[in-house]
Amino acid sequence: MTSRRQFLWGYGGGLGGIALAGLLGESGLLADAPAGLHHPAKAKRVIQLFMSGAASQCDTFDYKAKLIEKNGEKFDPGGKVELFQSSPGAVMKSPWDWKQHGNSGKWVSGLVPHLASCVDDMAFVHSMVSKSNVHGPATFMQNTGFILPGYPAMGAWVSYGLGSMNKDLPTFVVLPDSRGYAPNGPGNWTAGFLPAAHQGTMIRASSPNPIYDLFPPKSASYLKPESEADTLRVLNQLNSRHLVSRAEDSRLEARIASYELAAKLQLSAPEVMDISKESKATLELYGIGDKVTDDFGRNCLVARRMLERGVRFVQVWSGADNGFPRRNWDSHEDIAKDHADMAAGMDKPAAALIKDLKARGMLDDTIVHWATEFGRMPCSQGSKGRDHNPFAFTTWFAGGGFKGGVSYGASDEWSYKVADKPTYCYDTHATMLHLLGIDHKRLTYRHNGIDRRITDVFGEVIPELIA
Amino acid sequence: MCHNDRSGASGLSLTSLDAMRKGGKRGPAVVPGHPEQSMLYRVISGGQPKMPLQGEPFSKEQVEVVRQWIQDGAPWTAPQQWWSLRPLVKPQVPRVESSWVRTPIDAFVLAQLRVKGLQESAEADRRTLIRRLTFDLHGLPPSPEEVDAFVADSSPDAYERVVDRLLASPRYGERWGRHWLDAAHYGESHGYDKDKPRLNAWPYRDYVIESFNADKPYAKFVKEQLAGDVLFPGDPKAIVGLGFIASGPWDFVGQAELREGTTDKKLTRLLDRDDMVTVTMSTLVSMTAHCARCHDHKFDPILQSDYYSLQSVFAGVDRSDRTFDDDPEVFRHRNQLLAKRRPLSSALRVLDDEAAEISTEEIARLDAKVAEWKQVNATDPANRSAEIKRNIAEAAVQRATLVKAALPTKSVLEMERLHAEISAIDKEIAQLPKPRLVYAASNYFEPQGTFRYAAEPRIVNVLARGSVDNPGALALPGALTAVSGLKARFDLDPAAPEGVRRAALARWITDPNNMLAWRSIVNRVWHYHFGAGIVDSPNDFGHMGSLPSNPGLLDWLATEFRDGGGSFKKLHKLIVMSSVYRQASSGNAANARIDGENRYLWRANRQRLDAESLRDAMLAASGKLDLTMGGPSVQQFFFKDDHSPVYDYARFDPDNPANFRRSIYRFIVRSVPDPLMDRFDCPDVSMVTAKRTTTITAIQALAQMNNPFVLKQAEHLADRIQSMSSAADEQVQLVYRVLLQRKPRAEELATLRDYLGRNGLPNLCRLMLNTNEFIFVD
Repeated sequence: MTSRRQFLWGYGGGLGGIALAGLLGESGLLADAPAGLHHPAKAKRVIQLFMSGAASQCDTFDYKAKLIEKNGEKFDPGGKVELFQSSPGAVMKSPWDWKQHGNSGKWVSGLVPHLASCVDDMAFVHSMVSKSNVHGPATFMQNTGFILPGYPAMGAWVSYGLGSMNKDLPTFVVLPDSRGYAPNGPGNWTAGFLPAAHQGTMIRASSPNPIYDLFPPKSASYLKPESEADTLRVLNQLNSRHLVSRAEDSRLEARIASYELAAKLQLSAPEVMDISKESKATLELYGIGDKVTDDFGRNCLVARRMLERGVRFVQVWSGADNGFPRRNWDSHEDIAKDHADMAAGMDKPAAALIKDLKARGMLDDTIVHWATEFGRMPCSQGSKGRDHNPFAFTTWFAGGGFKGGVSYGASDEWSYKVADKPTYCYDTHATMLHLLGIDHKRLTYRHNGIDRRITDVFGEVIPELIA
Repeated sequence: MCHNDRSGASGLSLTSLDAMRKGGKRGPAVVPGHPEQSMLYRVISGGQPKMPLQGEPFSKEQVEVVRQWIQDGAPWTAPQQWWSLRPLVKPQVPRVESSWVRTPIDAFVLAQLRVKGLQESAEADRRTLIRRLTFDLHGLPPSPEEVDAFVADSSPDAYERVVDRLLASPRYGERWGRHWLDAAHYGESHGYDKDKPRLNAWPYRDYVIESFNADKPYAKFVKEQLAGDVLFPGDPKAIVGLGFIASGPWDFVGQAELREGTTDKKLTRLLDRDDMVTVTMSTLVSMTAHCARCHDHKFDPILQSDYYSLQSVFAGVDRSDRTFDDDPEVFRHRNQLLAKRRPLSSALRVLDDEAAEISTEEIARLDAKVAEWKQVNATDPANRSAEIKRNIAEAAVQRATLVKAALPTKSVLEMERLHAEISAIDKEIAQLPKPRLVYAASNYFEPQGTFRYAAEPRIVNVLARGSVDNPGALALPGALTAVSGLKARFDLDPAAPEGVRRAALARWITDPNNMLAWRSIVNRVWHYHFGAGIVDSPNDFGHMGSLPSNPGLLDWLATEFRDGGGSFKKLHKLIVMSSVYRQASSGNAANARIDGENRYLWRANRQRLDAESLRDAMLAASGKLDLTMGGPSVQQFFFKDDHSPVYDYARFDPDNPANFRRSIYRFIVRSVPDPLMDRFDCPDVSMVTAKRTTTITAIQALAQMNNPFVLKQAEHLADRIQSMSSAADEQVQLVYRVLLQRKPRAEELATLRDYLGRNGLPNLCRLMLNTNEFIFVD
């Protein structure tokens, strides 16, 4: 017989889980789980900043003197160089100057000055490798662990594994770039084969109806706000009468409860998105009001407010699709111009998030993860751009049990291929899950004959990154 | 696994009991009954176990399982002993004395209920029965008149006549076709990055609907979907069935933009074929062959070489639009011309490829200039000009001249000859009526970037650890070795065209002796009727799947279906005529203690409407349902074609007539799902879906309360009711009649009369669309 836990998982997680937890008298199964699922957790929640289009490692955090020294010379790292679009051009140094920062003396380029001020809180992985050189599959990989569509995103897995920490907001929330979707669209935050309740709830912070169907459209003029309570009361009455002869079916009861929760969400969602009561200093910190940083800053601030209110996993996107003019990090044509635009919008708000979480004492149990689907080539494409580099790229973490001021793994002298400790998203996913109290090998769901996990059949926790 | 038949580290293989008893260099690995004498147990147990060499040692519990297994005599299931691989033999129908038994199905179920100590349920009332039947067979509610007629009909065959009427209606094909499309993971955009719309997928959807409505024999249905072009060459409809192979996602960038010969290109193709193998084997034989891509299947007797043999079956096809004609004569003529054209274009392609490699200093200079212009065009809109465009066009002409000058004369002449022959054929083709298009498996199509048809089937090797960088032995077309009595490798003439491979697989699957295929399909049908299969993992009949709850019944149904010509309609009728199907869904505390999940079917399963049925039921109630069948899918979103197309559901008028068609006709975008359908568990069509999950969430409640489509239907329903009566009591009664097909109870009437007075009819309709009674079927 299905255990109560399986039942909860099957029908719930997300808001459904709350519905049932409420129904079953706060069974504790979905309660705030400091203990973690498999072992004590250091982190309770995650915020992931996804740089769509592939942010360059060798223009941000992966410093190579060699590129400066050999700038303009033929790129000859030995062996055949296989690029996505182009033939390899000359070695190209970053258009930005590099300086060392913080007590850790971390080299950071002038492209991201605000993040540079946070390096002592950050743990870098410079030896990331992707299994695909193509945006779509590679973006799936960083999100779901697979280069194919249809697998659950990490936020969905965390929702499935840990459930909710709050009663009136979703567990996994996604804030896309207001310019549009990244490659794969909402496929990046799908629940895949997990129950649909675990999928990312998309919040379009700049839209009048930021969550689909949170409120009725104005066109339904027959609905009056004051009659909603009446409607819910009568609906409850009819459903309760219907339940009398079907009392054994807990789905019917769950559905009754789901309407109470929906009403709560209608109150809590606008509140969480309303940043008007934030201090002027906070708004300034995130760059809100400044055209360049407003969009990403607003999303980061809303994300922080959600984390405060118990949302477990928030994903914020920097960058839309790969179209023209460039609106993401896919700078094939002109890295100096296009990366500058993207970084100007991202750098200050991302740094603000770390500082703000820290000031509020939340950084200790919140993982901040800066991710991208792959890196960029140290040689030029055309004369000013950079092609895709799946062989070496950088990701970083802050807070939530990650060690500050460390760098793990290394690319070669060119920032072309990994030279030390090749790392896949399997390992970073495993490490994040570990800090959340989850053994990645035991967080499984049987689908089409396989006990699936986000780490496929791979993944090692990286102890060097853990404080 | 290190110790397998091939690698056999230390000469030891652990793939069969015989191999283990024989052992390796260090003696027998397993001595049944004697764990302490068994090397297998000794090396994994103790304080510092020697094995496994890599990875963590086995846990205490795992070691204990092995010890116990050896202690018990090391029982080993040979493939043929696994339930799903046993030959299919029609079992005896159990003899059960009871007037409850109407059909052999009832005998199988009741015999089991008796053994388990479970009490069968009484028949549901007539309103419940016709509501259940109509949703089940049509995905729609019965009309109030249909309910009245059935309730009043006292003739002994009243129920059977309802069943026959429902099965004869075209609504049936729309309902059961939708189930098939789930299994086929049918979508109408490519998925992945860019997610371009697939505008010619829909003929396959219509083909599926028509096949169900025509009660096409199952074997033919399968054969058409895998190899209709080869097995039924004169039948244009059969080609449309090939949409099955192409129904899954397609990586546009990997296929059309990556260069030939790159690792990522190989990977793209490997995964593209993987999807074809997965959908074929999961859907048609319920085996997880896709689990053997990197190694032999860990749990089932599926070899890695089986998997690559299956990949080899699909090595000559890609997903693409292909032509067909409604007129069989035109179709035949066109195919003749295309068959003549194909080798010519293949020969021309070889020469074109040679020409593309040619470079001189002059050509290189020209290319560099073009690259510059293109860069300006792409990134610098201010300086984009007609002049640059013209320059690029002129350079192309110039380049062709330079290349021609650099080519050997022989090649140039041969190219001219081929061009001439091809254009002669093209002229003939142009004379034919315009063809129709279907997105399907295809071995001949116009190139799109670097996406080109395979002139010969592509080479498929067994890949060590599934890596395209580690090709091993050549894989030849075949299927599963574990299916006894059928040839697992097809032994085809290597020179035979690729279609022969697919035809061989189609024959292998539909062979009367393929026990998997026949068990698979009857279980799938049972699953949709009851909400759970006899095997509750419809796509996995292996060791990781469920066991059949009633193996005799499954085999009886499978043989009955197979031997009766593979008629779905007969199978449906057999099932819905049974007493098992007609039971009430009410609970029974004593039964629930024994079988709370109702695996043995002591009652009917109450089911929440799936997304499509819910949407269609709202349209039926509002009076807006448009029953037009077939044709291009209706796009229920704002669409803007772009580098990455925009699909926006929020910017779509909910009252657009496109919204009134049945849900099976909506355009299904892979990356951006319809928010309403999504909330009600419409699956991600990038994956094969054997079973939909059913969730109940607050977000779902919000959708049913506030989605613009739902709110519009409430308004239309209100208008409809208003036009029938303006008296409050009657209006409440009419809403009940239309939505729930019953009369309100006195207290319901009183409550809603008051509510109506306070809030008006559209509010009342919206409220009723949100009731559990509307959304669940007893």
